[in-house]
Amino acid sequence: MTARGESATGSRRPGLFGLGRGLSRERGNFTWVYLWGAPLRAMHWVAAACIVVLIVTGFYIGRPYFMTSGEASAHYLMGRVRFTHFTAAAVLVMTGIVRVYWLFAGNRFERFPALFPVTPKNLRRTVRTATAYLTFRPEKQSSMVGHEPLQQYAYTILYLMTIVTVVTGFTMYGQSNPGGIIFRAFAWVPPLLGGLQVVRLVHHVLAWGYIIFAVLHVYFTLRSDYVDRVGRVSSIITGGRYVSTDETYEDYDISKVPAHPWPTPEHPDPKKDA
Amino acid sequence: MTPSAYAWTEGETLAQHFESHGVSRRDFVKFCSEIAVALGLGIAAGPRIARALESVKRPSVIWLQLQECTGCVESVLRTADPTIGDLLLDVVSLDYNHTLMASAGDAVERARQSAMAANKGKYILVVTGSIPTKEDGIYTVIGGRTAEDLLREAADGAAAILAVGACAHWGSVQAARPNPTGAVGVRDIIKNRPIVNIAGCPPIGDVITATVVHYLTFGRLPAVDREGRPLFAYGKRIHDQCTRRAHFDAGQFVESFDDESARKGWCLYSVGCKGPATFSPCPIFQWNTRTSWPIGAGHPCIGCTEPHFWDTMTPFYGRLPNVGGFAVEQRVDTIGAALAVGAAAGVAAHAAATVFTQIRRRKATHQVPETGTETENDDG
Ligand code: SF4
Ligand code: SF4
Repeated sequence: MTARGESATGSRRPGLFGLGRGLSRERGNFTWVYLWGAPLRAMHWVAAACIVVLIVTGFYIGRPYFMTSGEASAHYLMGRVRFTHFTAAAVLVMTGIVRVYWLFAGNRFERFPALFPVTPKNLRRTVRTATAYLTFRPEKQSSMVGHEPLQQYAYTILYLMTIVTVVTGFTMYGQSNPGGIIFRAFAWVPPLLGGLQVVRLVHHVLAWGYIIFAVLHVYFTLRSDYVDRVGRVSSIITGGRYVSTDETYEDYDISKVPAHPWPTPEHPDPKKDA
Repeated sequence: MTPSAYAWTEGETLAQHFESHGVSRRDFVKFCSEIAVALGLGIAAGPRIARALESVKRPSVIWLQLQECTGCVESVLRTADPTIGDLLLDVVSLDYNHTLMASAGDAVERARQSAMAANKGKYILVVTGSIPTKEDGIYTVIGGRTAEDLLREAADGAAAILAVGACAHWGSVQAARPNPTGAVGVRDIIKNRPIVNIAGCPPIGDVITATVVHYLTFGRLPAVDREGRPLFAYGKRIHDQCTRRAHFDAGQFVESFDDESARKGWCLYSVGCKGPATFSPCPIFQWNTRTSWPIGAGHPCIGCTEPHFWDTMTPFYGRLPNVGGFAVEQRVDTIGAALAVGAAAGVAAHAAATVFTQIRRRKATHQVPETGTETENDDG
């Protein structure tokens, strides 16, 4: 336990409604670590906004919950909703393409190995962290500066879900122009799944997958802020977070980072010193 | 032996045949122009079709009815007001069709054999009905031979095959889960002959007429999509040609069959219309000599031209299918919402349990948080 920097004596965040007061292991020595580059943060929030728009409009397209009255020529509600849905989808796809590029171009917390948990080490960490959550012993969780193992799984699954959602979405979208590029590019999908109606069903079921993901995602990130005090919420806004220098981390050698007394933010780029 | 009332005699051209049955040249050219339009060739192709058809000699057609309900034969042949198309179909048909032939037994089977032998490699084979494959095909046996056996034999000498109706296309209701007879379509048995699928349950007669005319005019089958259906008829979605589409785009939907919206003729999407997933010429060709069509009459499309529509388009009055025979439809939203609420409740419980265990442990260690000496690792 190396105490570097100054103790942040007496300062702590009580958390939302003071919830964190009874929980947090407050004080200690902290340093600011830069995790998420601006492009990644932009992608996160653009994708989040798109997904919200896509879910709201998607449920309307699946089961129209508003109706217009009067002459049909006076309205274009479904038309506009579909337009919004397709536009948001296009933006999401663009974000996805940039994200794939960033899997190679990003820093070590943003690249492939930090995301797809396939090694035995990762599996052990996953079991350990899942057990910690289930037994309410946060201190037994694996200790990572970047993504926790469960996060890695969650985001990998989210990315796979997104691929399937986009593929099924484009398949349906292409139907209005039979023989067109999109129609032909996704012509293999309906036979594979067993018809356009099944494509529709898969797309619809996945929408619920996003909602369930959102619930868990928000809970676990807020929880890590209040219980584990790791500042994940702020990290996706500011790009970095305070990391206790009193702990060791499985994915990051904190001792190599120059100590910075909290709360003065410094931004050591992990690419440089890793 | 020929069932037609308008027998087309050997050696007679179609022009001569029509003339002898009181069809005027004018009507014939008009018919050819209509067919040209139906085929997507444009009205200008009418005279060319007329010229080609005029000189056509009586084609031989063998019509096999396998595992089916005879509905397609009814749809094609029964009509209150015979049109030239019916006449054409009636006459090209039928060196063999066991429902319509007057004779029975050995005589018909011999007629089929001799027609196939005489026109080997040249006749058109029309198939309606599916082919049962389980238990060696015993579910359909005609004259002591299974459907598959008959089909293979007839396909062998055929120049082209018209698989008419959903049964011949992919098996239709017989092939719906659990498909007890192992019913399949023609394309699943015959791989080495050109096959065109005239999809539908039953198909529109005009599509069959136009396909036959295409074959007689150009000597080959029309261009088809990946389902083997002629593109001129099945190239577009119902939804994109639908007369109610304006109401769809405007957000005006029928919610139940007797509501005000139904009376106003709004879109049938919410009562399960499968128009968005169905490729068919119904809105354009329409039914019963262009009287009406299902959506026009206020009933949602059930997607009868798409393969496996009994499994994937059902329930007919719901938007999402019952996949795997398990009624997820209408329940998918309930299940989804239940899981989402469950997840929310789960995390709330988890959060509460965390607070509870943390406070208890903190008390147990008797540590006073405000001393300012403890560090993260000491805690909990
Ligand atoms: S009635 Fe059916 S095909 Fe017509 S616009 Fe509505 S959903 Fe589409
Ligand atoms: S409207 Fe749909 S279900 Fe009805 S005949 Fe046409 S394709 Fe078949």
